[in-house]
Amino acid sequence: MITRHPRKALLYLAPVAVIYLVVIVYPLVSSAKLSLTDSPAGNPGQFIGFDNFRQLFSDEQVMHALGRTVAYAAVVCTLQNGIGLALARALYSRPRAQRVYSVLLLLPMLISPIMAAFIWSAFYAPSGAINSVLRSVGLDSLTRVWLGDPNTALWAIAAVNIWMFAGFSAAIFYAGYMNVPSELLDAAVVDGASGWRRFVSVEWPLLAPSLTVNVTLSLIGSLKVFEYPLVMTQGGPAESTTTLTILVYEKIFGGQGFFSYGVTIAVLLLVTVVLLSVLVNTLLRRREERI
Amino acid sequence: MSSTTSRPPSASVRVRPDKQPPAVRPRRRPPIGRRVGDVALFVAVALIFVPLVLTVFSSLRTPAAVADNPLGFPTEPTLDNYQHAYNRMNYGVSVLNTVVILAGSLIVIVGFGALAAYPLARLTRRWTSAAYRILILGMTLPVFVIIGPLFVLQRDLGLLDTRLGVILTYSGLFLPVAVFFYTSFLRQIPVELEEAASLDGAGTFRIFWTVIFPLMRPITATLVIYLTLHIWNDLAVPLVFLSDPDKRTVMVNAYAYINPYTVDPTELFPAAILGVLPLVIIFAFMQRRVVQGLTLGAGK
Repeated sequence: MITRHPRKALLYLAPVAVIYLVVIVYPLVSSAKLSLTDSPAGNPGQFIGFDNFRQLFSDEQVMHALGRTVAYAAVVCTLQNGIGLALARALYSRPRAQRVYSVLLLLPMLISPIMAAFIWSAFYAPSGAINSVLRSVGLDSLTRVWLGDPNTALWAIAAVNIWMFAGFSAAIFYAGYMNVPSELLDAAVVDGASGWRRFVSVEWPLLAPSLTVNVTLSLIGSLKVFEYPLVMTQGGPAESTTTLTILVYEKIFGGQGFFSYGVTIAVLLLVTVVLLSVLVNTLLRRREERI
Repeated sequence: MSSTTSRPPSASVRVRPDKQPPAVRPRRRPPIGRRVGDVALFVAVALIFVPLVLTVFSSLRTPAAVADNPLGFPTEPTLDNYQHAYNRMNYGVSVLNTVVILAGSLIVIVGFGALAAYPLARLTRRWTSAAYRILILGMTLPVFVIIGPLFVLQRDLGLLDTRLGVILTYSGLFLPVAVFFYTSFLRQIPVELEEAASLDGAGTFRIFWTVIFPLMRPITATLVIYLTLHIWNDLAVPLVFLSDPDKRTVMVNAYAYINPYTVDPTELFPAAILGVLPLVIIFAFMQRRVVQGLTLGAGK
């Protein structure tokens, strides 16, 4: 028994510790160090203090990418979870439909982001399925070059993200519904509360834990968005889909001597993810406690 | 890599099986509203599902037929597009590479993850809980934050363009998830079984291997599904660390050889279907735990 031989614990932990130190901790420390140098290609480089960070905050390309990434995350987070919640509620009151429907809803998330990007690139094409549908119902005025227009490209990509993961959000909310004591839900029904009323005053507060999980996961996931813009638009048109990850990838591996600057943008990405997820988490956890 | 806030999965079944949603609705509610809800739900599910159907349909039609009408039904199905995509993506080799990388990563992550979880769940020293907390922090880390220095490190160690380098990277990225779920699971398993085995004279590792590891089978299965989905579908890691087309995974070769700007459905759709096909086949064999595996990271 391990409790009688606590020293042996070190042996059990050793492999994980070694891998974690080499793959995660060392590169993290190295990131911090490199961001303070002018290293053009990952060589040690000259120490330049906080110059990279100073440059970062006056660099419009980076600041726009940051704003764009946060806006993208906000939209994906809101819509994906809104749709997921609506689906979960509808499924909860329809146990027979639930089985088949939940499988169908989870299918898109099996597809890899790059394959989803392939599929939707074709759908969004000028002569693709979406414009065909619009034309066939007489909405010709709504047809456009979805991925070629700087006003629509980012949101067209967000729609793909939502399409993939709305079913996932629904599954988590559905599990939340199943964890709510049915007496509580039934009591509200017996009291004759309307559907909307029951949702607002009984279901919504009781779903707080699932909301926390859903919002945190979709927030982190969408801040890290990479494959869709890489494949569908390569960050264009006119940089309208250049997210932070795309920028990091281009700077570090673009071979133009911006290695340490790319690493600095990656540090900005980390700070953004940590700050936003801690903020959202604290707010939602506090809300859970109040309820 | 997707959960910070997840709660530990419970050792018992997550959704109590005895609890069914109410089958009977109050009569007061007008049936018309219910009907509208039925239709709305059907439409929503269809909107999510139809793109997949359309993908399969279009992949079976000739380029000329799809260009003529992108929404048509495959009246004369053909597999030519698949033949094409198969050759372009170097499919056979790519699948094999992905399987090797996946299998290697699974063995390391499941084996070492479970091993580390054992003392972390059973010992309550200050240093074990500190170690646990530091490990768990790795769960939120976006790979892009470490990808630059990791590239340099692997270059210096001669690991670039080797499957071992990719396996090592995935191990680092996913071990925190594995440790988190194994530890939470193990904490809910009573120690009596171990005590009994210990009285029988079994050593520590023997107890781990013959008692603990088999007990954790449900969470192992769930974890394997979760990891398979994420590693199979990942692009960033193999894109950065592998450059030889004969070593690259399905996703990288698809990205390298198939140009989405052709926006030709008959080229893109079969590629997408070939990409997901092995996953569908694997999951078909593990049906029972698939939904749990997909929603792992959501915890509760």
